[in-house]
Amino acid sequence: MKLRDALRIVNAPLSPEAAALDVALICGFTPLHLSTFLLAELRTRLSGYQVRLTSGLYGDTLGSLRRLRADPPAAVVAALEWPDLDARLGVRSLGGWGADLLDDIVRSARARLDAITEATIDLAQRSRVVISLPTLPLPPIGHSHPAQLSRLDADLRAALSGFAVAMARALGVHLVSEQVLQRSSPPSARWDVRGELATGFPYQLDHASELARLIAALIHPATPKKGLITDLDDTLWKGIVGDAGASGVAWDLAGHAQIHGLYQQLLSALADSGVLVAVASKNDRALVDEVFARDDVLLRPTHIFPFEVHWSAKSESVTRVLRAWNIGADSVVFVDDSPMELAEVSATHPGVTCIQFPRDDPDALLELLVQLRALFGKDVITDEDRIRQESLRRREQVVGADSAEAEANGEVNESFLREAEGEVTITATKLPFDARAFELVNKTNQFNLNGRRHPEAAWRASLADDRFVLLTLSYRDKFGPLGKIAVAGGHRDGDAIHLETWVMSCRAFARRLEHVMVQQLFERFGVSEIVFDFAPTERNGPLRTFLTEILGAEPAPGARLTRTEFDRLCPPLYHTISDAANA
Amino acid sequence: MPPTRSVRERLIECFRDVFPQLPGDVIPGASVDTLPAWDSLATVTLLALIEEEFGVRVKPESIEGLTSFDRVLAYLTARPSV
Repeated sequence: MKLRDALRIVNAPLSPEAAALDVALICGFTPLHLSTFLLAELRTRLSGYQVRLTSGLYGDTLGSLRRLRADPPAAVVAALEWPDLDARLGVRSLGGWGADLLDDIVRSARARLDAITEATIDLAQRSRVVISLPTLPLPPIGHSHPAQLSRLDADLRAALSGFAVAMARALGVHLVSEQVLQRSSPPSARWDVRGELATGFPYQLDHASELARLIAALIHPATPKKGLITDLDDTLWKGIVGDAGASGVAWDLAGHAQIHGLYQQLLSALADSGVLVAVASKNDRALVDEVFARDDVLLRPTHIFPFEVHWSAKSESVTRVLRAWNIGADSVVFVDDSPMELAEVSATHPGVTCIQFPRDDPDALLELLVQLRALFGKDVITDEDRIRQESLRRREQVVGADSAEAEANGEVNESFLREAEGEVTITATKLPFDARAFELVNKTNQFNLNGRRHPEAAWRASLADDRFVLLTLSYRDKFGPLGKIAVAGGHRDGDAIHLETWVMSCRAFARRLEHVMVQQLFERFGVSEIVFDFAPTERNGPLRTFLTEILGAEPAPGARLTRTEFDRLCPPLYHTISDAANA
Repeated sequence: MPPTRSVRERLIECFRDVFPQLPGDVIPGASVDTLPAWDSLATVTLLALIEEEFGVRVKPESIEGLTSFDRVLAYLTARPSV
């Protein structure tokens, strides 16, 4: 982004109705253009909010972080540079670089990093924290030749690495990746020494722009995709299995096919982290099964559901996969080596992200792997991520493909429900921060009260409000666990709850868990009325259908349901219910 | 279009981005003395924007003299690269 573009975004008027979202930019230097770029990036990403950016005191990063504890903003950015560890590591200080001072510099840097660690972990309990580690070079301090890594340099980098490890492990703290920053901002073109000496701002404009872009992406990351559908021949492996046979296809160095092995390896890792993986291939199923029976296959058949292996159009396969997963096309990535197949799928499912597998280009393959990591990246892997694929597979095994489709449409099988031995676990606490609940709120489309997405920073601000109530629901039955699958949140107002957020995973449809949720809202919070902040979206038909049934009319924004009316209309519920604290 | 006019128009755009509340017809007469919003922060932002827009590096010793629209314009038009 150019400074001119950033200024125009920052100067544009904001909607007065938009909710305020406070972000603190803490750095030891004058924030100047980093502040402008960051505000512009955040206002672009969070267009529904009035993002307000504050900064700390010059030269006092630690003090500024500590002062935020009293009234923490929704998000905190700490843009560290070497002088934040010890002023003598900067060019605006003349405290000495003599050999006798080096040990003291290292000692003070370690102590400062320890103090920043403590302040940051404390803040991260209530704010989303993003940290960029020093991006500029150390000055020529120390006595050795610049080509040699000095003991001082090594000691300082070791201290910084220890700090980075502690921060990377801390919940709610996110570190900017230097490796990614280097791609767009070469280290040799970052430092503006003239600017730093003249104004206290040390960055070249392009570097400030790129750093702000990455920080903003960590404050409000894109919603990760949910599923990947892959082709087989010349994609998951090298060769055409119909021609070469199961033993003739390859994915290793010996077969000059390592890029396919790397692709399998990444897909396997994605599946382990909860990404749904399916196959869409024009092939002979028996031959494909033979390949997946090989001992050396990296993407195991248990990682894959469903297999769409036949001779029909790929778009038909994608349709069936979307039905089996019960998710929208815009949550899915399709990878194939054939531009024609990609075009055919894209024409039928324009929402699907179609990516060509670069079968003859290892460099492009590595780019593809990075791209897939970006599309599916998530902060934490939850228990629900680990069981998602298995629960979908089990559902189809238990109720059959046709019934699974009916279930996906919300049709209830009474005898199935009665005999399912459903167990519901309710959580009504807001702390500690529940990453799974936050994930559900931002990725659920079909059973979603109003389709509203919440940046983590804004969600944390809601949780901090005393009047805000939160209820989450986990479910298991005799067929296995579904994990945490529903979240409801809203403000309590006298004898009513104004429900502002209500989502439920599509895997939990047709189990009357939405009824349980309403029942529990009435019971747990002792209210006699629920006001639904409903808004129709293109995708929230299932929630609209439920509200229509329970309200007796098409829902409108602000629709109300009394406990008496709910008790009258609620169908039989067969679940046993317990508190998370007792589960 | 004469080059000088082009530089002038581009400079007006720079001023407009740094001082968005300033009416366009007032910009050519703007100076540190007449424009309260033209503080040290605005100076740094304006110079960064000018450097980005015109691909020049303003020398530190020149900064103190760039106290009005006219002076900035004269500085730029005197640069052979602009």
